[in-house]
Amino acid sequence: MKHAKMQLSTETMNVGFVRKVEALSGSSVRRCFQCGKCSAGCPMRSFMEHPPNRIVRLLQLGQYERVLAGRSIWYCASCETCSTRCPNKVDLAAIMDALRKCSWDAQGPSKESLVQLANRLFIDNIKTYGRQYEMRLAAVFNVKSGQFLKDLMLGPKLITKGKLKMFHSKNKNVGEVERIFARIEEMRKKGEAE
Amino acid sequence: MTPAKNILSYSYYPGCSLHASAQEYDVSTKGLFRQLKIGLQEVPDWICCGATPAHNVDELLSLSLCAKNFSLADRVEGDLAVSCAACFSRLKTTQHKLAANDIKRKQVEAAIDGPVSLAKPVKHLLEILAKDYGLDRLKEKVEKPLAGLKVACYYGCLLTRPPEVPELDDSEAPTIMERVIGAAGAETVAWSHRLECCGANFTLSRPGVVLKLSNEILASAKGAGADCIMVACPLCHGNLDIRQKEIEEASGTRYNMPVFYLTQLLALACGVQTSRLGLESNIVSPMGLLREKNLL
Repeated sequence: MKHAKMQLSTETMNVGFVRKVEALSGSSVRRCFQCGKCSAGCPMRSFMEHPPNRIVRLLQLGQYERVLAGRSIWYCASCETCSTRCPNKVDLAAIMDALRKCSWDAQGPSKESLVQLANRLFIDNIKTYGRQYEMRLAAVFNVKSGQFLKDLMLGPKLITKGKLKMFHSKNKNVGEVERIFARIEEMRKKGEAE
Repeated sequence: MTPAKNILSYSYYPGCSLHASAQEYDVSTKGLFRQLKIGLQEVPDWICCGATPAHNVDELLSLSLCAKNFSLADRVEGDLAVSCAACFSRLKTTQHKLAANDIKRKQVEAAIDGPVSLAKPVKHLLEILAKDYGLDRLKEKVEKPLAGLKVACYYGCLLTRPPEVPELDDSEAPTIMERVIGAAGAETVAWSHRLECCGANFTLSRPGVVLKLSNEILASAKGAGADCIMVACPLCHGNLDIRQKEIEEASGTRYNMPVFYLTQLLALACGVQTSRLGLESNIVSPMGLLREKNLL
């Protein structure tokens, strides 16, 4: 898709999607004039098929499917360098959050599954325990991603250094945390929140 | 009775990492604050701030988790002291966004089923030490100056970016870490990568990212002649310290670069017992370096 020829016409310009991203992110997409400062400072640039400034350009041209199908949005580290340096106050880090939400909600065709799996497990842990437990997070990630031996040598070392807890308990107020998740889901069903 | 003005006291949000992989940060923070006679009371039943994964895909969830923490924190007196740079960033971002956006605020109030409380200032430890406590007072408390120790102060991403949120220091040319550790007598080096990203939470999903980015940071610090790196974030510490051996193997470079939490070095300088600095938890052992500099 990266190299597929782009046919542009008034029909392909999806202003609706741009508006949605602008509403979710609270940042203008249309204000970008392609200076490229964001990509120049992006530490994750070399891992992305579309550098940050091109993502904005593709959005402006209505080519959001190319953006959502690629891995670039999932390789953004949220380091905020782009948003800090943009001369036009385009909050690209917030736009990346909005794009990931669009892809996440649509369970779209992104090529990047491991980052999404890590996000899912992280959020599930909060819902179940109220806090994050790194040991559990890493163990479940390895099982679910089929990388049973990943960081195998690190585990015992971290335990002897007191850095991993073998046992953990739920927060006393985990019920309140679960209810936050439930209320947000309810609001979305009723169309009261994005 | 109202406490005397010069007695500082804070509510404390350690964050998930400080109860596990970054326990030496927690131990040394408490040790340092006790030594400086700054009160620190942990917020009961605090919950995870959601960190990067939550805001990555669900902003409303991220804001709601932080807002819930604000209402929990209101039960304890004092401004909210935060040690983890990521938690600090999420809590500050939430205050910033909810103060500016009524629609989001109403949604969050519905999600946590209660009012959103934004009154309590959220402060990173660096701010408490440099501004509330003050560098002059800190200097007076130094019993063991870190003379001759060359420190590379590593800010990473979230202590200073984006500029309008953390309100800690300049986003492109901060000096707060250098000023604080300078007050303890350390020498700080000028180096290129102090604001670059370490690879953050890709350590779980795509460790290759960390091996590349953190290698560049270690190489930059080494090249500038630093003896050690000082950090204020558990994720940065994990990537630079826990993964250092792996980085050395992948890049074929030997760094042997101890990575300290700022509170470990400050507590050491202020005369906290060595056994209460959590130094035994650092993966790259700092003992040789500290002995060499006559600091142990």
